[in-house]
This record gives sequence, C-alpha cells and structure tokens, in this order.
Amino acid sequence: MNAEPELESPHDDSRRTFLKQSSVLTAMALVPSPVVTAAAAELDEKVAAAFEKVPLSLKVNGTKHKLKVEPRTTLLDLLREQLHLTGTKKGCDYGQCGACTVHVDGQRVNSCLSFAVMHDGQEITTIEGLAKGDELHPMQEAFVKHDGFQCGYCTPGQIMSAVACVREGHAGSEGEIREYMSGNICRCGAYSNIVAAIQDVKQGGQKV
Amino acid sequence: MKAQQKQIGAPMNRVDGHLKVTGAAKYSAEYELPGLAYAVLVGSTITKGRLTSIDAKAAERAPGVLAVITHYNSPKVPGYDTAGKDPSQPATVGGPIKLFNDDKIRFNDQPIAVVVADTLERARYAARLVKAQYAKEAHQTNLEDNKPQAFLPTSAKKNPKSPMADYQRGQADAYKTGAIKIEGEYVIPTEVHHPMELQSITAHWEAPDRLTLYDKTQGTLATRRDFAKEWGLPEANVKVIATFVGGAFGNALHSWPHESAAIIAAKVVNRPVKLMLTREQMFTMVGYRPYTWQKLGMSATPDGKITAITHESIGQTSTYEEFTESTLAQTRMMYASPNLTTRYRLAALDIGSPIWMRGPGEATGAFALESAMDEMAHLLNLDPLEFRLRNYTDTDPEKNRPWSTKFLKECYKLGADRIGWNKRKLKPGSIRDGEWLVGYGMGVGTFGAHRGGAHASAQLRPDGTVLMQCATTDIGPGTGTAMTQIAADTLGIAPEKITFELGHSDYPQAGTQGGSSTVNSVGPAVQQACLALKDKLRELAGAQNPAFASAKKDDVALGDKHLSLSSNTAARVPYADLLKQAGAASVTVEAKPGNEGQQYSMYSFSVHFAEVRVHELTGEVRVSKLVSCADAGTIINEKTAANQMKGGAVGGIGMALMEHARIDDRFGRYVTKDLADYHVPVHADAPNIEVAFVNQPDLKVNALGTKGIGEIATIGVAPAIANAVFNATGKRVRELPITPDKLV
Amino acid sequence: MNQFQYVRATKSQGAIDAVAKDPQAKFIAGGTNLVDLMKRGIMTPQKLVDINRLPLAKIERQDNGLRLGALALNSTVANDALVRQHQPLLALALNAGASPQLRNMATVGGNMLQRTRCSYFYDLTMPCNKREPGTGCGALEGINRMHAIFGASDKCIAVHPSDMSVALVALDATVLVSGSKGDRRIAFADFHRLPGDTPEKDTNLEAGELITAVDIPDGPFTKHVHYQKVRERASYAFALVSTAAALDLDGNTIKAARLAMGGVAHKPWRLTAAEQSLVGQPATEASFRRAAEVAMQGAKAFKHNAYKLKLGPNTIVQALRTAAAA
Repeated sequence: MNAEPELESPHDDSRRTFLKQSSVLTAMALVPSPVVTAAAAELDEKVAAAFEKVPLSLKVNGTKHKLKVEPRTTLLDLLREQLHLTGTKKGCDYGQCGACTVHVDGQRVNSCLSFAVMHDGQEITTIEGLAKGDELHPMQEAFVKHDGFQCGYCTPGQIMSAVACVREGHAGSEGEIREYMSGNICRCGAYSNIVAAIQDVKQGGQKV
Repeated sequence: MKAQQKQIGAPMNRVDGHLKVTGAAKYSAEYELPGLAYAVLVGSTITKGRLTSIDAKAAERAPGVLAVITHYNSPKVPGYDTAGKDPSQPATVGGPIKLFNDDKIRFNDQPIAVVVADTLERARYAARLVKAQYAKEAHQTNLEDNKPQAFLPTSAKKNPKSPMADYQRGQADAYKTGAIKIEGEYVIPTEVHHPMELQSITAHWEAPDRLTLYDKTQGTLATRRDFAKEWGLPEANVKVIATFVGGAFGNALHSWPHESAAIIAAKVVNRPVKLMLTREQMFTMVGYRPYTWQKLGMSATPDGKITAITHESIGQTSTYEEFTESTLAQTRMMYASPNLTTRYRLAALDIGSPIWMRGPGEATGAFALESAMDEMAHLLNLDPLEFRLRNYTDTDPEKNRPWSTKFLKECYKLGADRIGWNKRKLKPGSIRDGEWLVGYGMGVGTFGAHRGGAHASAQLRPDGTVLMQCATTDIGPGTGTAMTQIAADTLGIAPEKITFELGHSDYPQAGTQGGSSTVNSVGPAVQQACLALKDKLRELAGAQNPAFASAKKDDVALGDKHLSLSSNTAARVPYADLLKQAGAASVTVEAKPGNEGQQYSMYSFSVHFAEVRVHELTGEVRVSKLVSCADAGTIINEKTAANQMKGGAVGGIGMALMEHARIDDRFGRYVTKDLADYHVPVHADAPNIEVAFVNQPDLKVNALGTKGIGEIATIGVAPAIANAVFNATGKRVRELPITPDKLV
Repeated sequence: MNQFQYVRATKSQGAIDAVAKDPQAKFIAGGTNLVDLMKRGIMTPQKLVDINRLPLAKIERQDNGLRLGALALNSTVANDALVRQHQPLLALALNAGASPQLRNMATVGGNMLQRTRCSYFYDLTMPCNKREPGTGCGALEGINRMHAIFGASDKCIAVHPSDMSVALVALDATVLVSGSKGDRRIAFADFHRLPGDTPEKDTNLEAGELITAVDIPDGPFTKHVHYQKVRERASYAFALVSTAAALDLDGNTIKAARLAMGGVAHKPWRLTAAEQSLVGQPATEASFRRAAEVAMQGAKAFKHNAYKLKLGPNTIVQALRTAAAA
C-alpha cells in the first residue's frame, strides 16, 4: 500500500523497517552511552545501509549499470568514488568551475549539482567515453595539438564542454566560444589555446 | 643512422597530453586502494581562543563512521616535540600548527577534528554533527588596523644582509627633497591560489613505520622530509607520490594541516584515508597571497632621470609563522636610481599562514613600482617606455655586478611593436571606441634565475628506449616534456624513445617546483645524466669493440638497436649484447651550479603591454589585447613556454581586475567562500595573448642557457593593466582589484 | 549532507500533496541551487520530491501570449524560436545568467526560486535572519557591497540573484501555481517579497504550492530590448547591478517602456515611475538620464554599496541606449 499513489518511491520496504527500528534507537539513546554504543553502531549500520540506498539504472559511456545508491550521492561522486571514473573532476563541488562537466543525454551539465538518482534511465558520457578505443575524439586531438591545458585538471571538463559548445552551434566566433566556454575555469590560464583548439575542430568540420 | 631533429626549442606536444585529454591522468585523490576511507575536516568557528569542549558523540554514532579525531583523542605525533620551534625557519618545514595537539585556536576554520567514515557522504554528514565550545579571545584580522604593530622579520634582525633587511644606497628617503616627485600608497588585497584541483591527499600506512602519501605537493622531497620528521621516521620509510598535480601556483610549497590530519586519521583507522578539501577550506588553510600595503615615493629630474626611490611595504603573516617574500626586490635592481631606500615589515594576524603565490612578492612589489613609473612618466609628460629607457641600467645597481644576460630592451622593442604602442596617446582619455575608452599600459617584471642542485637518472633498456627519473614535480608547465626534449637532443634519439618519470620521492633528488627554477636546475641534471649514460655505454661497448674504447665521449651515437660511433658507423654493438651482463645500463648524476651566482646578477625579465577598454558608464574593464615578451634565456619548448606565459598573464588579469578575498573582521571569517564570490578569470576575460621570446641563452645560469618563465609571466601584468586603465580614463587605481565600483 | 527520502512524482497532485503535508519536504527540479544549499547544510529537507518527470516543460502560444512550462530548461527557453520572436528580452536575460551547463539544468520555476547569494546567508556560523530568523542580519553592518539599495529592512538587506526574473517582471508575466487548495495566478511583481520582518520567506508561495507555468502576454517589445548586466568579470558572475529595458518606439518617440533592475533588492525591481517618465519622450540620452534619476528615487546605500547609487542609473542609461539602438 502506498499512501502517495502519484509518487514512485525507489526506496524498498526496508525504509519502514528502519522507521520502526529508529524508535528502538531513540530508546537506546536514553541508556548510558557506553553500554549501547557498540550495539547501536552495529544496528545503525545495518538499518542505515538498507534505508540509505535506492536502486538506480544508468548507462555510462555505453555500459549499463544497475546500482544501489544513497539519494544524497551526487552524480559526480558516483562517477568518481563508486564507478572509479576519475576523469570527471571535482573542482568546487558547487557548480562554479565546470571541472565536473559531463553529458547527460547529450547535454552538458555540472555533475556536482545533481543527485545521481535523478538520472535514472539516462545516458551519461564522461571524458573516458569520448575516444573511440585508441582513436582520440577530434577535440581531444585538438587540445593536444594546441596545448589547451597545463596541469590537466580542468581539461576533461573543458573538453566535454567544448564538444557540446560545437554541437550546440555556439562556436561561431572567438567571442562566442569564449562566452559559451565561460562555465569552465582554467586557473592555469590556457584559455586562448583552448579557444584555438575549438576553432580548429569547428573549422575542420569533423563530426564531433 | 638518421640525423635527429633538434628538439630543444621545438613546439613539441606534451608527453602526457594523451593522459590529460582522456581523463587517465591520476591526481592525488584518484588512487584506488583497498579499504579506502574518507576523511572530512571540521573547522573552528571562532578566530582566536581555546577549545573548551568537543561533542563528538553524535558523529561517532553516525552510520559508517570509523573515527572522530580531536586533540582529546589524537595519537601522539612524535615529531611535535621538536617541530616548529623556530618561527623564522623556512615555511616548508611542517608542523607549525601541530594539529590536534592542543586546544589553541589560531585562525578561523583551523581544523579541530577530522571525521573518518567508509563513504564520502557519511563522512561529510558526520562532520556536521561535531559540535565545539570555545573560550573566545579578541582577534585581529585587519592589516590596516595593525600597521602600527608591524615588525622587522626575524631573519632580517639576525642578518643585516638578509634580503628582508632594510636597504639603502645613496641618501635615505632622498625623494622627499626632490623637485619633481610622486608619492602613493598601494594595496594588494589577499588573493588565493585556487588551483582547480582541490588540495587532496591519500595517506596509507603500509606498515606501522612505513607511510605512503599520494599528495598534491610541489616538492615530493620536501613533503617527505616534513612528514618523516613529524612522525620520527627515516626519510626512506616515507614515500610521496605526486605524478600529476592539478595546479598549485605556490600553495603546495608548504605542508599543511589537512595533510597531517589525513596521516593521523590513517594511523587511527589503520586503513588508507583520502582527504580532499572543500573550496571553502582552500581559502583558510592552504595559504594565499598576503594582503600587502605599500608606499612608494620617487623623484626625478625634468629630463626623466630617477634620482631617488623609497619603497616600503607591510605584508601579512600569521601569528605562528613568519612568512616573508621579496616584495621590494625589483625596486632595488630595476632602475638606475642613485638613492634608494626599501623597508620591509610584517604584521601578524589571526589568519592561517600565507604562502608564495605565483610571481610572489615580486608581483606585489611590481604593482607599486611599475604603477609609480607610469605616474612619474605622466607627471613628466614622457612616454612611459621612453621613461624606462632613460633609466635602463646595464649593470645591477643593487649588487654592483654585471648581469649574466639582460635583453630587456629587446623585449621592449618586440612588445611595443606588437601592441602598437605608437597608438598610445600621452593624454589620458584620448581614444574611444564607441562607448568604450581605450588605453595602453606597460609593466615590467623580473625574477631571479634561480638554480639549485638536482639529480637525475638515465637508463638504457635493451629495446633502445631510455628511462629517465627525477623526483621533481610538474604542476603544469610541462616539465616532463621539456626534460624529454633536452634528453632527446643530448642522446641524439627521438623523444618517443624516452620516458621521463617524475613526481616520486624515491626518484633521484631534486628541489621543489617553485620560483621558476625547475628547468634551470633539473635541465642540467638531465643533460649530464644523458652524457654520463653515453659515456657509460661507450665504456661497456669498449669491452667488446676497441673502436669504442678509444672513441671520444661525444662520438657515441645511439641507434635503433645498437650503439655506434658517429665517426665510424661501421663500429656497432647491439644493445642486446651490450646489456647482456648488466641487464640495463644506468647512471645517476648530480648537477650543481657553480659560483657564477656570486659573480653575476642573474635574472629573467619580462615586459607586458596591455590594451584595455573601459566602459564609460558601467566602469567595466576588458583587456582587449595583451602582449607579453620575455627574456627567459633558452626556450626549451616554444609551445609550452608560450602557454605558461599566457597563463601568467591570465593570472595577472585576475590580480588586476577581480581577485579579492574579503574577511568580515567582526567574525574573522571570509565572506568570499567559493568561486562565485572570489572571482578568477573565465574564458570571456582572456583576450588573445601574444607572446614573444628573445630566446637568447644565458650560459652563466646553466649549459642550456635557461632562466625561468613561471614568475615573470605574471610579474608586471597587473600594473600594465592598471596603467592602461589610467591611460584610458585618467583614473589612477592604487588599490587592486580594479572593479567597476572604483571607476563609475 | 543529511540523508533524505527521495521520491519521484509522476503526477503533479501527488507531488503537491507530498510537500503540502510535510514541512520537511521540498520539490527538486534542476537542483542547481538546492543541491548547493544542501551540501552546505543551509537547507536540510528530509524528503525530496523529484518533479522532473512531470509534463511541465512545454513552451507554447497561449491566449495572446507565451506559456513557459515551469520545467522548461533555461537553455531551452533562451534558444526557443517563439521566445526569441515574441520575448527576446527574456532570452537575453537568461543567457546573461550562470553558465551553459547550469542553464542546461536550471528550470524556469527553479530560477525564480533561487535563494540569495548573500555571504551571511551562506555561512552557518554567521547571523542571518533569512536562514535562521532572530539571529540578526550579518550584512547590515558587514561587508554589504553586493546588497540592496531598495526595499531593504533592518532584518535583511539581501538581493535576489535571478536574471530571468528581472526580465519577467518587466514583461508583466504571471506565475501559475497549483496547490492543495487549487490553482491560482500570481502577478510576477507579487511573486517575490520584500524582506520586512520575515526575510525567511522569499516569495508568496504557500506551502506545497507548485509553480506549473509562467505566462507572458504579447507586447510590442520585440525589437528594442536589452539586458545590461554589470558584473566583476566578463561572464559567469552574479550581477552587481543589472537592468532589463524594453522600448516601443514610434520613430524616435517612446510609446511604451518597460524597466526593471536586478541586484538592487530582495526581489526583481520593477521601475514603473521611470517607465512612465519615458512615455512620449524622445529616445535620447537626456530622457534616459531623467528616467534613471526617477528610478533611483528612494534608493538607500549601506557602507560598502554606495557605488550602486551611481552604477545603478548608469546601467539603466546604458540598457536604454542599447535597447533604443537595437
């Protein structure tokens, strides 16, 4: 029975179990703490694990994943910490730098600012999914050729954003590229080389 | 054998480019280790005082929490007893804070606890549950309020010849009696390095006395030394790995509390622990460019000869470390002023310690000096370039020594042509482009061509490839690429045959990557290691073929599969035979500078020319063109070197126009907490930046002729922009950054 | 971040009921502001109702106007042919905000519900009546260079950060909301609030009310429009001051005008008196300057934001100039 018929709750039934047991935890909290710490910790652990995680289906770089994740896990942390796709970078965690840029259903987004569970059924492309095997994507080639990076940390985000910038039709001029790449900060300051790389790809007319 | 292309100077693609564009380059928070746990720091919410209690119960009970460590329960860190006793010791010596050792709060957000859990989410949540009580004391976080308490650094008190000591040539403060004089106060606010990679460390005790750190550091050996000392371990037991460093700009020149926290945490939970700072924490505990007040007075003759300069500065430091930088160095040596006085002071505030930020003190000082040059030129109704030429000096007026090399005039010429300096009008506000006022400005930069000793190893493998190693790091300039080019030319083989490994403390020793010194120092080591390898191969081959035994050192040629002689290509020894006994041939050498540094004044020089547009109504400033020219000695890689120059210029744009970390002094907390409040340049702020190198070797620095690029790329950019804003508007802004509110 | 329960809404009513009956529940759409605030512990909902799958993303013609679904993405709206044809000012304002990535996530409804970027609101340890009523306003005597010059109270001097909302208030938009008591329409100018004594309330939405759409009536403002945003860098920054300007010109005579400012008040700040002053006047610098003076009547600065008293009118003049020349 669901009290909210127009909502889907991805949580499984263990949530209700948790709610029941949490009253046990409350009661235990009244007992002197050293007595219950160990017991509570163990119980907490099991209950919380069941409560915390919800199922999630994602396609990442062409691979389907059936996962169980905490709702509070961001897409970025899921990629980096659980799927070990560390090419996507954490530069600020607040949508203020662009290092975490990935494509969700083909659109560039900041993966740090959305919860992974919100992307159930969607298709994610990260920097690791851009090249075709050993063959670099033209944008990756252009970044190497034009030295569009220094330390390399913002680079995956820059490249994912650059590919989207061209696809969106926002690479028409230097000025337009600069504006539409402004969501990706490069503290090393390789900006003009990045712009050159994007223009090269755009003018080369390769499919991006 | 094919003649090898000369690699030094060529615009070779980076050797690690492929790894960087595919996301395969691993930074310090990206190592998968079994049982990895996550640590999150809890910071003090007061600025000064004492912790009276910490309630960690709720955090300890939260799901997945492995430990909550505070000064109440932290294990004893053996090195705390001896570390940090002397505040004048170099900042890279760790432990001044002695994390979790006592109840003392020295700055806001000082870590008071570290929470370790099995997932990042759980650690982050539990960290919020830690509650502390404090006994607050009155704090000081405002430099302007504390100028009266400014003091001479201890290093200068101990040593009157210290570069931090008061300096005088000719008469003291002679500008005051000059007929034509200017005087101004200049302020650089606190700026924060903010590399894109958040400071991260993964600490792993592989055995109770063996520690491995995957760490964001500019010096694997400095970090190893600091934490070996902190834990009372032999240095050989500590391994520091920094294969890729996601930018640093100086903030990884020091060992910081979060590193100590991760190591303590890993010890307590007996698992590898990863700790990545938040962007807020990047403001408070990993250094910054200190707020600096400066006063500069200058006098000149009517025909534009400087007669005297007095330059004073008060920089910010913390209460527990004396941070000093060379704010006044450029003033002492750049122009031929017969009378010159400098005074450097510090004011200690209740804020975490500063650390050198790109171009460090020199960039701060150059803002005052190069602005003043522009002000004096304006007063004299002289072109600022002409004014600088009239005060050009062919010897170092500070040390009375010849320059090792100085091609600054050539830089002036290159830059002035490229920016179109002849378009500049003497009278400010003369040029318009619609609603935009257009102006031109220039600024000069200089930085010592520092060189230290360095080791490198070279090993020939049976397949004809060469492996080179050095403990140096690459925070972005392309060290591995430059070294590969040097090795390729020295060995006479293709760069593809060379692998240059760096960023590991087990590799042959080299200094920290900082102060524009890496190529100057490591380059010669690589060169000499390659020469030594060739000689060793010649020796080995001599045992098999007498032609080699009698051959000259540089006659040896490395072919695809065999060693031969340039003078006698018939003489050949296959590598397989050569290395049969040894398996591989390897050498490790040390390259040290000679005493040239005592005979010559060795500096890199740069000049930056800016064209800016200032909106007549909104006061917005756009840098529409920037030309940076450098006399940096030999350029090893035209492409990466130019990129480094462009990057430094972008940093200068940030400094000039937007970067400003602000503290609310009532609380001692930053109100700029993230990259939305603290602005750094974005794509739209960066124009096309033209770079030109004089590219003349300075063989006094090293046999390669390099002088260093990293700092001069930034030094002088901010004043060039400020001077251009003056030329556009007639408004002189002496307090950076030049935001619209200062121009409307 | 605290744990929370996550549910996906399949029908609006279910979502509304879930949030209406649970004060600890919040809707989540793009998440660009809410996730940020949750990470920092500034908002701590116990339940999130994901509304992204509700059919509220359409942009369509409706009753001599445009209807923007509340879930239409900022980038979609900015690039939409109907929007560009009928309401180009809106497209300009949207493109002046955030970054391309954020505009690909942020929705119309979410953009309106952005919370202030005031530094004191963003720091759990500092006083802030908006975040924690009764603790005081840290900005009042603090570093208030980004703060309000209109409509502030001694409880709060924060500003609303949205660019889109500045255009929408100028364009006489209407917000459509659904709640447990049914549907209602709110004039855009009445949607956001001034802080008064209750700065914790940003808007006049009631608990559980869901924004479903925004209606913008057709108007004559299809050509002479401009959104002037002044910020501390060339892009990807919140406004120091911004102005949305729209003119209906007959030759060089102004038949009608719309003006609103951002970065100056707790809500997007419509300048009706200044608009009136422009009607019937020639589109000249002098008219614009007079309108800007009218606009600034009643403005009051604090210690660090006095520059807005000059930058504000200058920005209005620049916006009008550019709009007239468009």
